[in-house]
Amino acid sequence: MLEVITLFLFNIIVYNIPLLYGTTGEIMIEKSGSLNLGVEGTMAIGAVAGYLVGIKADSLLVAVLVSFIASGLVGLLFSFLTVTLQANQNVTGLTITTFGVAFYYFIGNALANSEGGWPRLNDTKLAAQSQAFAIPGLSKIPFIGEALFSHGILVYLGVIIAVLMWLYFNKTVPGLKLRAIGENPAAADSLGVNVTFYKYAHIIAGSGIMGIGGLYMGLNMGGTFEGSNCWINGYGWISIALVIFANWSPAKALLGTLVFGFFNTLRVQNAALAYAFPNALGWLTKIPSHFFSALPFIITLIVLIASSLSSKKKSGEPQAIGRNYYREDR
Amino acid sequence: MKKYHLVRRADAKLSRTLIFYAVGILVSLTIGAIILSVLGINPFDYYGKMFTIGLVGNRYGYKSIEGLLKIFVPLLITSLALSLSFKMRFWNIGGEGEFLIGAITASIIAFNSSGMPNFVTVLLMCLAAMISSGIIGIAIAALKVRFNTNETLMTLMINYIMLYVIRYIGETKADWNFFLREDSERPKFGTFPDSAVMAGIPMGQFKLLWSVIIALLLTVIVYVYLKYTKQGYEISVVGDSSATAKYAGMSVGKIVLRTMFISSAMIGLAAALTVSASGTISDTVTNNVGWTGIIVAWLSKLSVPAVFVTSILISILQYGCQAAATQYPAIDSNYADLLQGLILFSVLVADFAANFKIVKKEEAKNA
Repeated sequence: MLEVITLFLFNIIVYNIPLLYGTTGEIMIEKSGSLNLGVEGTMAIGAVAGYLVGIKADSLLVAVLVSFIASGLVGLLFSFLTVTLQANQNVTGLTITTFGVAFYYFIGNALANSEGGWPRLNDTKLAAQSQAFAIPGLSKIPFIGEALFSHGILVYLGVIIAVLMWLYFNKTVPGLKLRAIGENPAAADSLGVNVTFYKYAHIIAGSGIMGIGGLYMGLNMGGTFEGSNCWINGYGWISIALVIFANWSPAKALLGTLVFGFFNTLRVQNAALAYAFPNALGWLTKIPSHFFSALPFIITLIVLIASSLSSKKKSGEPQAIGRNYYREDR
Repeated sequence: MKKYHLVRRADAKLSRTLIFYAVGILVSLTIGAIILSVLGINPFDYYGKMFTIGLVGNRYGYKSIEGLLKIFVPLLITSLALSLSFKMRFWNIGGEGEFLIGAITASIIAFNSSGMPNFVTVLLMCLAAMISSGIIGIAIAALKVRFNTNETLMTLMINYIMLYVIRYIGETKADWNFFLREDSERPKFGTFPDSAVMAGIPMGQFKLLWSVIIALLLTVIVYVYLKYTKQGYEISVVGDSSATAKYAGMSVGKIVLRTMFISSAMIGLAAALTVSASGTISDTVTNNVGWTGIIVAWLSKLSVPAVFVTSILISILQYGCQAAATQYPAIDSNYADLLQGLILFSVLVADFAANFKIVKKEEAKNA
């Protein structure tokens, strides 16, 4: 009985860490005042590039670096188009999603139809390195130890990135400058902050972080490619929603990942829970799984409306978000 | 110090823009050709097949035209609708969701229409779809006007909520669910009775559906509306500067509400025409027009004639890819999406090159 709950907690983390990567990456980008709707495509490109090169080199470190660089290049494209060329952010981001997901399928199908076939993850060093391991001591804590402290290294990396990002935003000078750009780029510019450099650097870094999330998803799914289902499968869009839910704070993104992950896991495991606790949770099977799938978006819609209704609560939303900054227009 | 400097060109010449766009499209097609060659496919051969959409040497060529029009009609109407709201700088990226709402409402009428006259049913389907999608549009616009809620993110959420609604309908066997076939064990969307299927004018073997004629008429109407009516003028003023509009005595809120209603209702109409023409509904009924429409509207710089031409070109791209897939199974419809992305990226660069120029710093000072 308790195993069911431990497994539930374990699954919340295992299947939803990509959300944490996607969300923290997008927060970094949005804090610089840019709204990148290309999360889904950026993650897909990072996933497929990192996986394929990583399996060739047979090393997790290479895989992570390549997915960071590949997605970072997508971020470079986004910043070149929107920061330097002043293209519209919504349109550029959406096109990156269309392009990225198509790229994923295109490469995947081409490889799957080729002679060697799609490279498998089984019995590679890459698989061994990304395997879950129990942290000695902590994982022995009854009840929650196994759920929280026996994961693959990329799970911990995601948490570390979120914590470091929170420190970066709130405790460092560059973080302060970044937030200033997101609030009012003209004012930051007049104080001598290099707006273009900051935007490029953070859009590229944020996109790279998303790419690692994509790679995690690919490894977590056992690295099998399906012609009909993308590894990312909507995680990028939920991440955009989660940014709002987390009120643009990487620390709250950690919490938000658990909340959205809870519903996501409920969708998959409602039968197991209802079976283990027929009296208390039997009603769970009556709720259609589609409702749980839609729930992150419904919650975000409510949060969006509610936070705009209340004037008191301080929102973390950068004031200049979505608008390009062109010095001459000042 | 930086030696070079970006300056916005004072004069916007149409010919220059067109030349830059043509170069951009050529570059993206070349990149596409390189990808094809890497995969061992002759790009000229492939592009030949794609751009002739399987018309050449085909006894059933009229079927290709019919297939192309099925992609073209919803894309054209949706792109027009999105251009209306984009012109007002209202970021309605909820085309997918609004389309699904319209498709579901139209299907409710369609599945319950057996015995009714065809004309009445289809008309009712269109009206119901327009009203239901329009209401969502108004609701979002009202929140934006009253509380300044972010419309981009709101419409994005609606897209996904509606996607799961239609999946729920399509995957749930129940007594109330008249959307599904009764004779199938597994949940499967049923087909409309004849009363709800779009009629057309037969021309030999080819049948020109009424939906095509409606789409063409609508294009003309939107063109006239934007160019020659007061309401159309108001949209562009609000888009340029809502402060200007306010000081000119326009009621900005009213204009935003009205335009969003029209925009969403048009997308609902596109949905009703689509489900009626295909005689059924599915969770992929939108064919991504909500997303592609944004690309089309932007490639066309929100101009109605350009939207018309771009919709044809993108439809040829998409349908051509499907047609060519029969001979090149390794290249599927994702190639069309890939090309679409490349074209938009290069056109964004071309657009910039047509509107800005790089000058040396000293010259900029003198200018």
